[in-house]
Amino acid sequence: MGKLSKSYVESVNHVQLSPDDIKELALENTHNLRISTEIGSVTVYWFEDKGLDAGMVFFPYGPWANQVFSSTTGSTGMPIMKGIPATIMPTDDKVQALEEIVEKIRSGG
Amino acid sequence: MQHTDIVCPFCGCLCDDLEVTIKDGHIESVKNACTISQSKFMNHHENRITVSTINGKETELEKTVEKAVEILASARRPLIYGLSSTECGAISKAVEIAEYTGGVLDNTSSVCHGPTILALQQVGESKTMLGEVKNRADLVIFWGSNPTEAHLRHIVRYSVTPKGMYIREGKKDRKIVVVDVRETRTAKMADKFLKIDHNKDFELLLALRALVRGEKLEAKEIAGLPIEEIKKLAEEMEKAKFGVVFFGLGLTQSDGRHMNIDAAVGLVSELNRKTKFVLTPMRGHYNVSGANTVTTWQTGYPYAVDFSTGYPRYNPGEFTAIDVLSREEADAALIIASDPGATFPKDAAKHLAQIPVITLDQKHTPTTMLSEVVIPVATAGIEAEGTAYRMDGVPLKLSKIIDPIEGVYSDREVLDMILTGLKEAKQ
Repeated sequence: MGKLSKSYVESVNHVQLSPDDIKELALENTHNLRISTEIGSVTVYWFEDKGLDAGMVFFPYGPWANQVFSSTTGSTGMPIMKGIPATIMPTDDKVQALEEIVEKIRSGG
Repeated sequence: MQHTDIVCPFCGCLCDDLEVTIKDGHIESVKNACTISQSKFMNHHENRITVSTINGKETELEKTVEKAVEILASARRPLIYGLSSTECGAISKAVEIAEYTGGVLDNTSSVCHGPTILALQQVGESKTMLGEVKNRADLVIFWGSNPTEAHLRHIVRYSVTPKGMYIREGKKDRKIVVVDVRETRTAKMADKFLKIDHNKDFELLLALRALVRGEKLEAKEIAGLPIEEIKKLAEEMEKAKFGVVFFGLGLTQSDGRHMNIDAAVGLVSELNRKTKFVLTPMRGHYNVSGANTVTTWQTGYPYAVDFSTGYPRYNPGEFTAIDVLSREEADAALIIASDPGATFPKDAAKHLAQIPVITLDQKHTPTTMLSEVVIPVATAGIEAEGTAYRMDGVPLKLSKIIDPIEGVYSDREVLDMILTGLKEAKQ
């Protein structure tokens, strides 16, 4: 289908989180989630995943997740992409389109 | 016309039993393929890049190649990156371009199993072929890997359900264990699922090794698992006639990285004092193993190779793509068969957006959106032939079953045009 297809975008512009976290955050269907790390923040959709423990969010690898990952590789070539401390907050902000994320990268934002 | 025994160019399983029917120059049907492979074959013509472009403007291929040559010839430190989703002949040409331009050569293993390579170079490996797993493995452990979503037919062809020479009843004769931080789909179909604390794989691997060695542990809990549970797994490993650990990015991308793999090799090594045990990385892109192999033939090193001094130097962490980009060192990039614009953390991707980029791809991606020069190419394994290496290191032949769009060439042919142009420019 390609990386600009709806199916690709929908597979990477969300996070999955546990039922306990959904309850704790009082998430409603109209909410999106703001994910923030020391590197940056990004707004994404969310889904429930009963296989996750409270306090752990699964973020599919892609342009949205990379907005909050560090480029530091600790002299290995591989950045840390798992087990990263993050803050998650409900938000009414909209989820950026792929083109907006690419434009953000281009403008150095 | 029906083609049989076609090799799938999607994941590291390289399933080689596909049956593809061609009618009027188009793929009519694909048999034996997983859903991802089906989609790759049946939708390969959709959303294709049909013309080469410079800054988004349609340009003749000859002029586009000239522009690519101009960019690479004038660069002081070009990055040549990607290569894992194309065939070995194209990879070989890319190595030659990196050498000729004095650039940095890297492939996508630096962000998947690069840490695996680092560890295996230090401590070696006990490995096998997937056919042996099918025929002999009675204990299969998926550690930080999720084949039900990433390597769909691995389970039915090699590791879980197939009946083998000594595993006559298939799944009934095997025990399947999953170690992961979350309950994946693979975990749901396993006989045993061990949910562990994140970033604690290293501790658990060392504890298992100590137990297999006969040491007594005082800890009551490791990585979130009760010690009794860990002892039970160690006993099951020792009792297996032929055990295998299929590990994924859960080990390579988390804290410890190559040291996690070092610990896994240590455990498997210890188990081999008592029984037969092997480990195999679940390689993602269909020819990432080939990218490592070809680069090693030609430079002596599998990835992260720098040619700036006129001879190959190897140093992951210095000459890996993310490091070269995030240090803002690269002043041009040639991207083949990969999408760093979507897969690199933002600081590395931001620098890629600031330098002239030449991208060879079949479909538009965030990387083509950031590129000055975009050249469409044929899909290896569908529109171009070649060789690819399976995740266990077995080379298989990719077939050309249909013609590409007129005026579209293979990665190897386009890279050869660029290399020829570079040589002519030097003269």
